[in-house]
Amino acid sequence: MAPAKCSFVTTHRSAPKRSLRVFAVGVSLALVVAACGRDDEEGADDAPGASADTSDDGAADTSGDDTSAGAAEGSIDVWAMGTEGEKLGVLADGFMAEFPDIKVNVTAVPWDAAHDRIVNSIAGGEVPDVSMIGTTWMGEFATLGGLEPTPEGIDSSQFFEGSWETTEVGGVSYGVPWYVETRLIYYRTDLAEQGGFNQAPANWDEFTQLVQAQVDAGAEFGVSLQPGGVGAWQTFMPFFWQAGGEMLDESGAFTLDSEACVEALTFYDSFFEEGLTPPAVSDVPVEGSFTNGDVGSFISGPWMIGVVTDAGADPATWTVAHQPTEEAGTSFIGGSNLAVFEQADNKAAGWAFIEYLSRPEVQVEWYETVSDLPAVRSAWDDPALADDALLAAFGEQLEDAKSAPAIPTWEEIAAVIDDQIEGVTVGNTTPEDGCTTMQQEAESIGTGL
Amino acid sequence: MTAAVTAENLSESIKEEVEAPPRRSRPTRKQNLVGWSFALPFVGLFVVFMAGPILVSLITSFTDLRSTDIRSPFGVNFVGFDNYGDVFSDPKFRKAAVNTAIFVFVGVPLTMSLGLLAAVGLNQGIVKFRSVFRLGFYLPAITSIVAIAVVWRLLLGADTGLINGLLDVVGIDGPGWLNDTQFALPSLIVMAAWKNLGFSMIVFLAGLQSIPVDLYEAAAVDGAKRWQPFRYITLPLLRPTILFVAVITSIGYLQFFEEPFVMTQGGPLDSTLSVSYHAYNQFSFGNYGYTAAVSYVLFVAIAVFTFIQFRLLRPKT
Repeated sequence: MAPAKCSFVTTHRSAPKRSLRVFAVGVSLALVVAACGRDDEEGADDAPGASADTSDDGAADTSGDDTSAGAAEGSIDVWAMGTEGEKLGVLADGFMAEFPDIKVNVTAVPWDAAHDRIVNSIAGGEVPDVSMIGTTWMGEFATLGGLEPTPEGIDSSQFFEGSWETTEVGGVSYGVPWYVETRLIYYRTDLAEQGGFNQAPANWDEFTQLVQAQVDAGAEFGVSLQPGGVGAWQTFMPFFWQAGGEMLDESGAFTLDSEACVEALTFYDSFFEEGLTPPAVSDVPVEGSFTNGDVGSFISGPWMIGVVTDAGADPATWTVAHQPTEEAGTSFIGGSNLAVFEQADNKAAGWAFIEYLSRPEVQVEWYETVSDLPAVRSAWDDPALADDALLAAFGEQLEDAKSAPAIPTWEEIAAVIDDQIEGVTVGNTTPEDGCTTMQQEAESIGTGL
Repeated sequence: MTAAVTAENLSESIKEEVEAPPRRSRPTRKQNLVGWSFALPFVGLFVVFMAGPILVSLITSFTDLRSTDIRSPFGVNFVGFDNYGDVFSDPKFRKAAVNTAIFVFVGVPLTMSLGLLAAVGLNQGIVKFRSVFRLGFYLPAITSIVAIAVVWRLLLGADTGLINGLLDVVGIDGPGWLNDTQFALPSLIVMAAWKNLGFSMIVFLAGLQSIPVDLYEAAAVDGAKRWQPFRYITLPLLRPTILFVAVITSIGYLQFFEEPFVMTQGGPLDSTLSVSYHAYNQFSFGNYGYTAAVSYVLFVAIAVFTFIQFRLLRPKT
């Protein structure tokens, strides 16, 4: 990183004589600001994303010897969050059995603290070798210069495309997908049939018909969509993609005020306009109202299979369905990646560990340990996943799923999108104004690359 | 400060000390040195852990520091007052400022009058179980906000909440107290008043007990009725206590953060977004320069507001 180009000059008043007041004046610093500033207008030299753009060989350098696991030895520190952090030791044991020269120390980090802890470790240079990284954090940490580009030895085609894209910041990949999740439609088949709708919804019209059928069959609400608030974009953006929208164009400029956005917001809002979805987040959890038939459908990720089952829903009364298809049938893809830090002591062993975790059989083992869905496609051929109809539906949707763009300012842009969704569904904003505002605010925030 | 201690000026200073005239003389250089050396542990800690960071945060508010700059924090640009300009032109900040102002101007008088009411009641009316009531009123003030949030969610829930359940009995369809843009902020004000009245009650109670009983007896002899003792004895003599409670409560309420953080996340439609919460959000987005500017705007607002309170409530001489 560039050295400090800034000098702070302290001026002391000569020997403070009387009071603390004088001392306080003495302490005040005079800043010489002229020498401060970014290295150039954009600070681009500092940004590893940018430097990696211009020197792909730089990235390739690391790949040569680093990935040959035979050469790797020593110990590595690995951070992981939540359940993954608690259970990763199981896989680490298998890895150490195969690579006796490498010792893996797993540290479990609470999700709440993880982001700041990683930022601080990068700033302080005291990083672990490998860490689990939430997909929406990739842009920030890579731009910060904290992550090592992925060695070329790793084959990107073994992962789901949408998932691999979460590792790419400014055209360079920093890490590999570890596990994934995507969003499907959960719906009550019994209510739908009662209301006269007997198949999975193929497009938007049919989705509305499904929802209407649930209401006709006696559900208070045909669907439960998030009216706004943190994370509403994860439910909304699939509709945006289905209408043919893209968040960024090829040049990396935002394209949020497209026709697709207006169509998607209008469609999303139609459920609120017609009273088909609760106007505000209910204090009854959705699995409860889904099980007792008050809510006919909702859109969520694979973890809800277990939650709905635990809530006592009869497996014969509900199923999951692929997102409806207009221009596309795209859903949202989330999950976590694994990355090696740029300042790590033992990068070679770190990549060896990541390669081990990316093996199809290890991915299946991991699914059996913590129910995380494999990011490696061939792992889905394993009977543990392929024979489960509900899971297989998720596997199918993963082939057509997109992530948020990996840009450092994403969390802020996501908040803007959440706000506008709420403005349209709860407030009086029109979809047109909502999309225009999204675009304007996103442009003023910038991609941060 | 490099005073060489010699026998001569040592004896001189002793002589000075002994023969010092009654009025305070200027301390000598050596006395200064000794004084500072005693103060040094505090001054050192203060400079390193308090003054330093505060100064850095002030400087930060004039830079475009972002989270992506932290590996080269000196490589940022000074942008003058741009951050402050952005703060005032940001509609979210303006919304947050209005919410915070409503919270303070409604919440502080509400909390203080409830606290005073409880204190007067405990001081005069309630004799039995006084300590039980005192503890009961004070308990919310020392309870974790998270526990309070759980309880108040049970009360305020739109579909399963106790309040709406009661309203339902008498045939009223209650609103979503936390989901409705009109009711969310008032709900939080009531909750904050309930949580914080215990503190003002304790302080008012101490203030009330310092008022001599003779004054009330004298007033009774003079024929004071009903509200008159309260209006002409209690309130004027409580003036310093009122000032103290008003200042402390206002400073707390201007930094209004925990209640929306645990209850509403600033929603719906930013109707419970406060200035502190806005700063918190911007900090988590990594806009450190902007966050520092918001914080200093809030700091100045607190300072000005406190100053006004001191002017309005200063003791009449």
